[in-house]
Amino acid sequence: MKYSYNWLKELSGTKKMPIQIADIINMRAFELEDTRKAGSDTQLEFNILPNRGHDALSHVGMAREICAVEGRKFFPRFGLGNVPRPNLGFGLKVEIKDKNLCQRYIGAVIENIKINPSPKWLQQKLIACGIKPINNIVDITNYVMLETGQPLHAFDIKKTTGNIIVRKAKRGEKIKLLDEKIYELNENNLVIADSEKPIALAGVMGGSKSSVTEKTKTIILESANFNAKNIRKTRTALGLQTESSYRFEREIDPNLAEIGAARAIELLQEYGGKNAKIAAIADTYPKKLKPWTIKLNSEYVNNLLGEKIEILRMEKILERLGMKVKQSEKLLNCEIPTRRLDLVTEEDLIEEIGRIYGYENIREFAPKMELSVPLENAKRNFEHKIRDVMTALGFSEVYNYSFYGVKEIENFRLELKNHIEVANPMNPDQQYMRWSLMPNLVKAVRINLKNFEKFSLFEIGRKFFYEKNKIPQEKTILASALVNPSAKNNLFFKLKSKLEFLLDHLGYKNTKYEILNTKYLFWHSSRTARITLHGKELGYIGEIDPAVLKKYNISCRVAAFGLKIDELLTLPRAEKIYHPISKFPTVERDISMFVGEKVLYADIEKKIRNAGGKLVLGVELFDVFEKEDVKSLALRLKIGSSAKTLTSAEIEAVMKKIISTLEKELKVKVRK
Amino acid sequence: MLKQKIEGIKSESLEKIKKSASERELYDIKVKYLGRNGSLTKILKNLKNLSPEKRRVAGPVANQVRRDIKEACQNKKKELAEQVDWEKEKIDVTLPGRKTETGHLHPITLVQRDIEKIFTSMGFKIADGPEIESDWYNFTALNFPQDHPARDMQDTFWVKNNKEKFVLRTHTSPVQVRFMKENKPPLKVIIPGRVFRNEATDATHEHTLHQFEALVVGDDVSVGHFKYIVQEFFTQFFSKETKIRLRPCYFPFTEPSFEFDINCTVCNGKGCPSCKGGGWLEIGGAGMVSQNVFAVAGYPKNKYQGFAWGFGLERLAMMKYKINDIRLFHGGDLRFIQQF
Repeated sequence: MKYSYNWLKELSGTKKMPIQIADIINMRAFELEDTRKAGSDTQLEFNILPNRGHDALSHVGMAREICAVEGRKFFPRFGLGNVPRPNLGFGLKVEIKDKNLCQRYIGAVIENIKINPSPKWLQQKLIACGIKPINNIVDITNYVMLETGQPLHAFDIKKTTGNIIVRKAKRGEKIKLLDEKIYELNENNLVIADSEKPIALAGVMGGSKSSVTEKTKTIILESANFNAKNIRKTRTALGLQTESSYRFEREIDPNLAEIGAARAIELLQEYGGKNAKIAAIADTYPKKLKPWTIKLNSEYVNNLLGEKIEILRMEKILERLGMKVKQSEKLLNCEIPTRRLDLVTEEDLIEEIGRIYGYENIREFAPKMELSVPLENAKRNFEHKIRDVMTALGFSEVYNYSFYGVKEIENFRLELKNHIEVANPMNPDQQYMRWSLMPNLVKAVRINLKNFEKFSLFEIGRKFFYEKNKIPQEKTILASALVNPSAKNNLFFKLKSKLEFLLDHLGYKNTKYEILNTKYLFWHSSRTARITLHGKELGYIGEIDPAVLKKYNISCRVAAFGLKIDELLTLPRAEKIYHPISKFPTVERDISMFVGEKVLYADIEKKIRNAGGKLVLGVELFDVFEKEDVKSLALRLKIGSSAKTLTSAEIEAVMKKIISTLEKELKVKVRK
Repeated sequence: MLKQKIEGIKSESLEKIKKSASERELYDIKVKYLGRNGSLTKILKNLKNLSPEKRRVAGPVANQVRRDIKEACQNKKKELAEQVDWEKEKIDVTLPGRKTETGHLHPITLVQRDIEKIFTSMGFKIADGPEIESDWYNFTALNFPQDHPARDMQDTFWVKNNKEKFVLRTHTSPVQVRFMKENKPPLKVIIPGRVFRNEATDATHEHTLHQFEALVVGDDVSVGHFKYIVQEFFTQFFSKETKIRLRPCYFPFTEPSFEFDINCTVCNGKGCPSCKGGGWLEIGGAGMVSQNVFAVAGYPKNKYQGFAWGFGLERLAMMKYKINDIRLFHGGDLRFIQQF
């Protein structure tokens, strides 16, 4: 809220300069937003916390705060709360239909009004607070709201018929408000009505028809209290935020209505026209709000703050904030003024003491804590290890958004129904939570292709999906992409070698790569493998279908993999066990062979190991040659025994067995 | 006389051999002394003209010297052959090293690791929670009243779901409740993670952010302890003495609540453009855990005291690395990532 420094000075009697006020309030109560010169005045803007709207969205409230911070008691400069009770003229009847939505309604009839500009001093204060002066009546309602915090409204009595009725709107009921727009209401909205029609949207904005004009002679002044939640619902539903709704949705003390009315009547009689006077008043207040008491244990205060504040000092601080405090031994019995609706618990009072005492005066000291080594977060450590290995392998880490749009779902051939939808995205790119990390990773590839020819990326992040029960689920995924035009047909294998290194380094042996050979999502139909370990699916590795890439104007090949980190963590990792170094020599034997198109390397290696048994210590592919329909592989075998030195006859025998198995069972042609 | 001459030849020739720097030079030396017209050869040839006594004295000496020179030449020749030609070996050592493919970690990861390290060294656990959170955990359990303006403090992304209200978590604080439900005090835990705010992006605003939450609960945890741990943390994080200050604030799940500032890391609090002249930088929010939150976690009321605090990793990374645009973090541009 924007405050006038001059006004605060008048009310609080402070001797401090604007900049000093700004500083102490910033440190003791509310964050300073801005200070600005406003003629001979200074505008101070503070961000009033949501729980202090009850009392601090007013100059009186802020002046009280200034006094408390300066260590003085606040004395109001005008009578607070003596509403004159005239017994003359015609009566005014107010009927509250829903007492939960309207706790109090004060209506005062003021006659002999003459519309004029308001006095200069009043106009200047409004201007300093950023409000445009209009005429004496409107200005006075605004002035009193800024001063006391009570929103007010004035109706032209001529444009109303019968009693004032506070009721729920009827479904489909329409009203034109002061902004000259027509709003359609329903039973969630509270209206002020006369016997025929709604004349105001309660607590939000007055109606256009019943508004004060140049010709207005008699007004009904409204000073009321409306339910915070209801006002909030109405103003969010209608998209209407006013000074009035802003205050009401923060909840206002119903006793303030009286103060606001009294102050407004006083000013209206003085500045509303030479003969302006109150003609009638009605105050409907079915359930009076009374002050309540909090028992505050002074030891708890010091315990929670970690400071030694004397009980007398606590008492003073609370009294200066307007509480009536009675001490009995360690206890402070605090009677809370009704304007401080935020003060309910002991901790609420401890905060009041702490902030006025000054947090900077609380000394810092080390907590007494038992020494213990905390349990490690296994998943976190695992992720960090993956990051280290990936960067060592040349991958750079990116953080992509957790959203994408329907376009990505279509382009990547994902299922729309698996996606979790955001109800209120700001733009279409935020509409769905990512079911796969790949779309955004491919977008990152596209960004980097502008500057790099060859690069590799990875991301560790969550994917989101629904389980059958429609409860959102999430899983952590490692996704990676590789671009390298010089790798040509070997791009897949370049990436696979890195994945193999990663899994090996993490302690996972015997990972299997199963041929997919079917159209699956965005993957390349014939260059993709399903990664499994101990029968569990860990993810996929392959090239991204060039047709998908084309939609992102990517013309080069992109290899990628995705790994389910949560799944991986559940699988056993090979423990490191030392195998004695063999005392006996090993020999290397090469086999070159022509293989048919459908023969898989995985099968060749399996056959070699089966045929050679324990004597095969290692199998390594060292050359692949493909030309037209001929494919040739060259493998290097390590042959040896841990029990003895093999004779050449024994070596030849095992080689022969291996070769004949391969030729017989896989129909390969071994080159001799 | 002759013996002296021979000794003279010996010392002169051996010295020359020692100093010779190439095989060619060595050959010339050898010729000079042992060649057909070499000075020692001449003496040896002349021995037969000497008297038997003189010959007996000079003969063995001359022959010995001849052997010595020969041996010295041979040794030197071997030495020269083994010698490296440093000139030929010469390379430009100022050329850059051959490129290895290097990857880079994201700056948020780096900052997160720094923070985790400092906290775990102080005995904190690390906890995680879901990024899509129920409305209950994100707000209600944290004492946010229904239909209350406090809910406007955080612009929220809602999930379309007719079964239950879910949000993209607006803070890491719901994990406080999740963790406390599973663990009894005393406890010290940190919760790093991704959070979402439904707001338009610009150089200083992002809808996807990373937060850090710390929670300490015990019998007598106080504001004084909080100040100590915060100061300790930032002093270690920035590797220099860092001052903090608390200002009043409001969060439904803490009471008292604070906003905390640290003295400007650029000017050390003197005032500069980074801190808009004030000498302080706003870092995050904190407070003493509300008894209502303890009650939700299943703790008896008024038995425990604790503090919670949270701040944004992007902001810390921006301060640490002098990054001027928050959108760079999720931009995916390697020209940015490769600087870390």
